[in-house]
Amino acid sequence: MPYLKERFGNPSSLHGEGDEATKVLEECRGTIAGFINAEPDEIIFTSGATESNNTALIGHASRNKDKGDHIIISEVEHISIHNIVKYLEKNGFKVSRLPVDQYGKINVQKLASRITPQTVLISIGYASNEIGTIQPIAEVGALAREKGIAFHSDAVAAEGLIPLDVKRDQVDLLTLSSNDIYGPKGIGVLYVRKGMKVNPLIIGGGQERGLRSGTENVAGIVGMSKAVEIMRTEMTEEVKRLAGYRDKLIKNILARIPKSHLNGHPTERLANNAHVRFEAIEGESLILALRDEGVSAATGSACSSKTLEPSHTLISTGLLHEEAHGSLEFTLGRFTTEADVDRVMEVLPPIVERLRRLSPLYKAEEVTT
Amino acid sequence: MKSTQYSEKVLDHFRNPRNVGTLEGENVAWGEVGNPVCGDLMKMYIKVDNEKIADIKFQTFGCGSAIATSSMITEMVKGKTLDEALKVNRQDVADALEGLPPIKMHCSNLAADALHEAIKNYRNQTKGKVPLPVVRGAKAPAKEIIGEKEFLKKGVYYTVDDLSLFKDKRVMMLDRGKKSLEIALELTKHTGRVIVVTPSKTIPADAELATKLRQSDVKVIYESEPLEIRGSEEVEKVLVHDLNEDEEYELFVDAVIIVK
Repeated sequence: MPYLKERFGNPSSLHGEGDEATKVLEECRGTIAGFINAEPDEIIFTSGATESNNTALIGHASRNKDKGDHIIISEVEHISIHNIVKYLEKNGFKVSRLPVDQYGKINVQKLASRITPQTVLISIGYASNEIGTIQPIAEVGALAREKGIAFHSDAVAAEGLIPLDVKRDQVDLLTLSSNDIYGPKGIGVLYVRKGMKVNPLIIGGGQERGLRSGTENVAGIVGMSKAVEIMRTEMTEEVKRLAGYRDKLIKNILARIPKSHLNGHPTERLANNAHVRFEAIEGESLILALRDEGVSAATGSACSSKTLEPSHTLISTGLLHEEAHGSLEFTLGRFTTEADVDRVMEVLPPIVERLRRLSPLYKAEEVTT
Repeated sequence: MKSTQYSEKVLDHFRNPRNVGTLEGENVAWGEVGNPVCGDLMKMYIKVDNEKIADIKFQTFGCGSAIATSSMITEMVKGKTLDEALKVNRQDVADALEGLPPIKMHCSNLAADALHEAIKNYRNQTKGKVPLPVVRGAKAPAKEIIGEKEFLKKGVYYTVDDLSLFKDKRVMMLDRGKKSLEIALELTKHTGRVIVVTPSKTIPADAELATKLRQSDVKVIYESEPLEIRGSEEVEKVLVHDLNEDEEYELFVDAVIIVK
């Protein structure tokens, strides 16, 4: 961690240490720009994806208020996007939430029909962090560019799993995080295409082209840049490996556990995501039982959330609350091995069976199909 | 849910639940609380002998603490008189489990309520006051749903000639008798998502059709009625009224079929 100790310079200072920090910062900016096919000066460092989303949506909307007051997002956006647009609604903006199909995918024709002369911003995530469905981002980009509307995409779920290219996909604002690609926490990026007019949310000494004042988190930036480098080298092979595990897991679960279903898209899904649901059991109890066997997973069940609300993503794919409660999400990653997948298949079927025996909702005779 | 939020005692009852199952026969009553919509449903069965709980069993759909509280209370009241058992409340169950996470105190600590319900039902039975099951108006003339006309042919259909139209769509079929249920079954050949909404408590069909429906991928929502069809240009969702819980929620669908 030299950037927290010996190399402690402030990039804004004129002394030698400061110069070195500036040099490192600009190298990192170049590396991260290359990762998404952007120019280095289009990369703004932030404190993380949440801040990037805030700057993109609030910063763009407030700056372009005179052009219009309408924003379009999809129902399956990350909760931070949903909460930011609620804030914008309170401040006079109008928001359309585009519904998705049963796989969680948007329809670009439907999106086009929601555009009004007042529309200033479209925000559609590259892929769902929850059910793994990948969105037709290039089509959205083409539509937005043609209509002269700014297009923001939260790419956190997709980074490291899909090659990102802001030029190919015609994205104007793009959110990246560091910890989702195994970099340090507390650092993120907002890509701001040249010519985009965005207000800063944090005002001060004018760092990051004035879009994000405050001394840069040099150690965090170096860490994120390193994570990006590793990701770029490993991605192709890694995606292949994870997709193999994912397919094996999904195939086996659906084949071996009766009354189980896949959530999200059957093919257009992230390589690291297997999301399933089981009838008549509840997700938190599944997770507890899996943890006893050393397996970590997540659920869209309300019973494991802070708000006691089921996942909005699952609900917007058309699931009933009780179905969302019975969902289970496996996220595969760098440290997942084939043995882990086999372990899940060893412990999951008996756990589901045991919990179903406890459940008043499960009738054995209904499983004859 | 943070793993550390559950006490060892809760985890023990979750891992090894006591008295799981159902009871039948003389002097048996049961109580049910909760709703799958909110994520918890408990059924508590008691067998009473000389005003004492001779046996007790439970079935629970729910989270870790829902299962643990059900299991705990069966141990606490077995052998107790009905009056003693009625005094056991939610707090007692939580205390016996060495505490529950604050957020779980209300939503999944329903075991005492289920037990009290079972005792109440037992006493009503012995007094001969068996409440008649409420049959809700499946036969009542179907009233128009808000938005039904507005979205006609834009996701709302009164007749269906070509089922392939619904390929991969999320279809809601309103229960309008046998014909509507048969179409629902047929639709599963074209789409994985067919939801039947019915005001009745069980599948409103003869035994053969009911069995077919149960074994199919048709999802039946009981004791419910659609209140309003919503969308922008086309059908996007339906506001559903859960008659049992008297709650309303939105369900995302692509099409609504109302056989006239």
